Order: sequence, then C-alpha cells, then structure tokens
Amino acid sequence: MRTIQTGQTFPLSSVKPLERVSSLRELCLAATRRLLEKGGLPRAASPITGKPLRLQGEVGGLPYGLCVETDSLFLMRLARPEEWERLLEETGRFRHAPAGLKGDLSQSRADHVYAPKLDWIQETLTLQGIRKARILEAVTPPSQMSALLNESRSFAEIRTIGEMALAHEGGTREQGSAEAVVMLESLDRVDDPRGLLRGASNRLTEGGLLFVTALVASGFDLEVLGLRSRYLYPPDRTNCFSLRGLRQLLENEGFRMLEVSTPGVLDVQIVQAHLQADPALELSRFERQIAESDPETGAEFQSFLQRRALSSFARLVARKR
Amino acid sequence: MNCLIFGYGYMGRIRYGSLRRHPAVRRISVVDPAPSEGSAAELNGSLLPSDAPIPWEDHEAAFICTPNNVTADLCVEALRRGRHVFCEKPPGRNWEDFSRIASAAEQAPGRTLAFGFNHRLHPSVQAAKALLEDGSLGEVLYLKGTYGKSGGARYRESWRNDPEISGGGILLDQGIHMLDLFQFFAGPLRVVDAVLADSFWKCGVEDNAFVLLKSEREAPAFLHSSATLWKHTFRIEIGCRDGYLVASGFLSKTGSYGREQLVIGKRQFEDEALALGNPREEIIHFDRDESWDREVSEFIAAIQQGRPPTHGQLEDARQAMRLVQEVYEISKQPAGARKGDFR
Repeated sequence: MRTIQTGQTFPLSSVKPLERVSSLRELCLAATRRLLEKGGLPRAASPITGKPLRLQGEVGGLPYGLCVETDSLFLMRLARPEEWERLLEETGRFRHAPAGLKGDLSQSRADHVYAPKLDWIQETLTLQGIRKARILEAVTPPSQMSALLNESRSFAEIRTIGEMALAHEGGTREQGSAEAVVMLESLDRVDDPRGLLRGASNRLTEGGLLFVTALVASGFDLEVLGLRSRYLYPPDRTNCFSLRGLRQLLENEGFRMLEVSTPGVLDVQIVQAHLQADPALELSRFERQIAESDPETGAEFQSFLQRRALSSFARLVARKR
Repeated sequence: MNCLIFGYGYMGRIRYGSLRRHPAVRRISVVDPAPSEGSAAELNGSLLPSDAPIPWEDHEAAFICTPNNVTADLCVEALRRGRHVFCEKPPGRNWEDFSRIASAAEQAPGRTLAFGFNHRLHPSVQAAKALLEDGSLGEVLYLKGTYGKSGGARYRESWRNDPEISGGGILLDQGIHMLDLFQFFAGPLRVVDAVLADSFWKCGVEDNAFVLLKSEREAPAFLHSSATLWKHTFRIEIGCRDGYLVASGFLSKTGSYGREQLVIGKRQFEDEALALGNPREEIIHFDRDESWDREVSEFIAAIQQGRPPTHGQLEDARQAMRLVQEVYEISKQPAGARKGDFR
C-alpha cells in the first residue's frame, strides 16, 4: 500500500473561504431541516459497524451520532432515498451558484482542487498498468470533474451516474464494465454509503479501481473543531468518516486498499480561519499555539499531517477483489 | 523444484527465506564451508555437512550468494552441470570473471541465468519506470544518483573490502546497483570520467566513486557511490523534459535508508498559477518491499516457462560490469591522459 503527500500549497480563500462556506452551510442546513421537519427516518446504527450510534451533538439543530468503534460521525436523521436525492440536487445548485463555490473561485478551484485529482487518477492508473480506462463518476450533477476527465483525452470513456441512483441500484452483476469508479466526496453525502460501495463494485471490472475522496473526522481541523467546524454540515457531510472507518467500510465491502492518503493542505488554515472569525473559540493551548504559529511552522505542521495521514482531506484508492 | 544455495551470509539468508515462501520449491540445500554460529539450527537440516559432496544432480537451480572471489567458479561449474543459476551481484570480481560466466552461459543454452539486481524491483523504482514509460514526463534529460553507507565498525574486516576477495570497493559492491538503475531508465551508458578515492577506510579499494556518464541519447548521468556517507542514503533523481522524479529511501531490514518514496514533479511555466520553480509535487510513500520475493519468483517462472528472465539478464550484467571496468581503467590513467567527452 502507498500513501501520498503533496507539495501543493494555496490559500483557503482561493478554494473554500470560510465566509462563503458559512453562507452555503446556512442554505444547506435550512434545506435539510425543511426536509426532515416533514418527518425523516431515524438512523440509529453506524453504517460501518452496524452498532448503535452515540449522540455526539447537533449541527444547526440536526443530531450527529458517533460510531464509537471508529470515531466516525453520522447524521442521525435521514429521509427516503428519492427525497434525499432531491435534497442533494437542491444543495448542489447552491454549491454551483456564483455565490457558492463557483463564480470567481472557479479558476482557482479548477487549478487547486480538480487538476490535482485528475493527475492523481491518471498517475494511479498508469502505475497500476491500466491504459485507456473506462471511467464512471458517481456524482450529483453537474460535475466539473467529468468535464476535466473528458478534456484530458486519457480515457476510453467517461460516464456519470447519480450517486443516489448508484447507492440504491440494488441487484448484483457478474462483472461491470468500468476499469475505474470515481467518487469525489460522494460517500460523505449519500444516505447509504454501503449501498454506494456495492453499486460501485457492481459497476467495476474484476480488479477495477475505486477512487474515493472524503473529508475525514480524524483529520486535524475536524479533531480540533469537531461539530463546531463550519465545514461540517448536512447534506454535504451527512457522513464524516474517520480514516480508519472509511478504510474499514471499503474493506468490508470487498475492496483491497492500494492507497490511503491525506494530502490535505488546509487543516491549519481552517483552524486559523475559525479562530479569526471567533477569537473566543475554545481551543487547547497547543491547538492555539499551532493556529497562531508563523507561516513556516504552520506549513511544516501541515506537511507532517499529510505525511502521517492526519489531515482531514482523504484520498483512497481501492481495488475490487 | 530443488535449489542449492551457496553461501549462507546476508544474501544467502534472504534467498533462503524467499525460496521457502515459494510454492514451487520443494527442497533447499545450503552449502557453506564456514557457516556462522546458529546457522545449522536455523536451517533445520538444510545445511549440508562441510565434507559432503555437492548434490548437483538432485537440484535444478543454484543460487550463488558467496564472496566475489568464488562467484565465477561456482557459476561456471553450475552451468557446466546443466543447472539454472541465480548469481548475486556483482557478477565476479572483474571483467575476466564476468567473461568466464558469460562463456559458460553461451555453452549452456536452455539454462536460465539471472543476476541479482533487485533494486529494479523496488516499488519506488517500478513506479518511476511506469511513469517514464507512460511518456507524460517526456524524455529523460539527466540522471543523478547517490548511494552510500557509513561502513560500520567492522568495515575493514569485511571480505567486501579486501581487494583480493572482492576485486573492488564500494562502486563494485553497491554502486553497481545504481549503474544498473541508470541503464534501466536511460538505456546503455558510457563512462565519460571518474574519480575514485580511498579517503577514509584505507582498505586498498575505493570508498568513494564519482562517475560521470552519458547515455546513447547524450543524456548525462552522475553517480556518487560512497562508504563514507555517515547517514545512509539512496537517492536517484531523473530529470525529464516535462517534469522530474526523485526516488529516495529504501525499505531495508534496518530502515536506515529512510522511508521509501517517489517524488513526482511536473514542470510549470510563467503563465501558470503557481510560482515558477516551485511546482506542485506528489510524494508517494511505499510501505512494502517485495523485491526479493519477486526476483526469486521471476527467476523460477523464467525456468518453468523456458524464457529469459525479465531483468537481471546476462546483458544487464555485462553492461553494468563494463561500466565498472571502464571506471577502474579510467581512474588508473593520469588526469591529463584521459579522453573524456568534455576535455
């Protein structure tokens, strides 16, 4: 197995500034509350272990539970799949609106968020000896990644499928036709992450690769901020796995890990931004020391988090057994 | 398959372990006239008595893991007896030893002969090779390699540094791996110039070698092979038209070469968003080295399938030994008499 570190650096403000995310968060929380006020379905068990979740607290009035065995966080109320799908479509529109994470951020997000992911997918396929792969991206459209994958002309075929549709596809196929399935933070959003992995497995050829990115609760900023993090809200983070939990989930569903990395570059900056927004934020002395450190110390610490799988942005590659 | 191992030192132990794990290997017999204490118990009956005849006929393959001064004799004898041969690097003490092995191989068609250049199978090296072959980094512009160790308290006592036994110093012992890797990445090379020094250990063989080379496509390469790198170092830098790769660290038993990793950098220009000269790098860390087992498996597969091994072939060994030979010859010439490309 391998882990990956990246030498890339960029400011938080160029990809997901706190104030912009805070506005988006309010819209998403309001939409989720509106849906769940109509009823909603309780989620009492961890999708990883099946064991009861322990109430951890609330985000915008919505309960999150802790999977004690893996330290992963899960929203404890969901809705019927078709309702959840509509919610993801609605909140996806917020994200793609100029006031969301597009508009003036589009170019820098393309450079800093999507281009490295394209490199990652291309390089991994090369290293695994897979040429001209057929790629399936699970996403709630629209997808900027699919456009980039297409533009690269490195792949035989690029197809997309709704992440909720894939999660609830049901049935099993002998063998799928995709050499790679790409799921960029889809596991964070869907109501049934195990179902999504089963769907991905069905669509993959034998030995095909699954590319997953996720925000992980075991990363530095989420460990420090917990449910206070403004980057943690439903439905975008309905599921906030720990790295261990994510790995366990994939292995339980029949995948063999090839890469488990946390090449995130924003953990320290995210804590700094929260502290700037709320100088009274309760932090331990050590956490505050890191957040208030000089840029060189911050960068060194971030680099350490990357190397030791302690950042909150995770990338995993797994092979279908 | 039944296998003989000649020599139960550092490499013999490693090969014994790999062979024991291989499903096709039925019996392993170890020949060592001076086994270290505890070897017999460790080998659980596989160590042949020192006065016993060598049971050539009962074994299909021989692994030559001996000091360099007997390598050629054993390879030649094993090939003459129709055995398949796996020979540790270096392939003899000098060009003459190697030539004897090569002649014996020519007279033993159908026998598999492989040499132990396992570094090609290290995960960082394999990944670098795959990325170069993919073509996205463009052609190789240059190579720079540093491979060195600190020697250690018993360095002077080791047969590896006794010129009568080893035939050479750190270049022949460890640097030959880097020369092999250079050729793995850039094709055949020639020596442009070299400086050898016996600056610290004073064993009568080089403890430092600085070698400048060129590929057939005129890409320069530079090797520093050293027994005075107090911090163990393995690092190879491959500069390409559109980026670069840096493999460093090695998953060794002691971990003294550091965490094995491959840095992948892509060239950038002024019109791109990131700062010029500080491109985005990806660093892949590897946590498993299967090079020894893979090398043995490949040798056995080549025997079973009646084909040449995918690496460590006679030609690979010839290229590496030719470079070592050239370096030793060049270093004997007075500086003014050398005919390097840049003078």
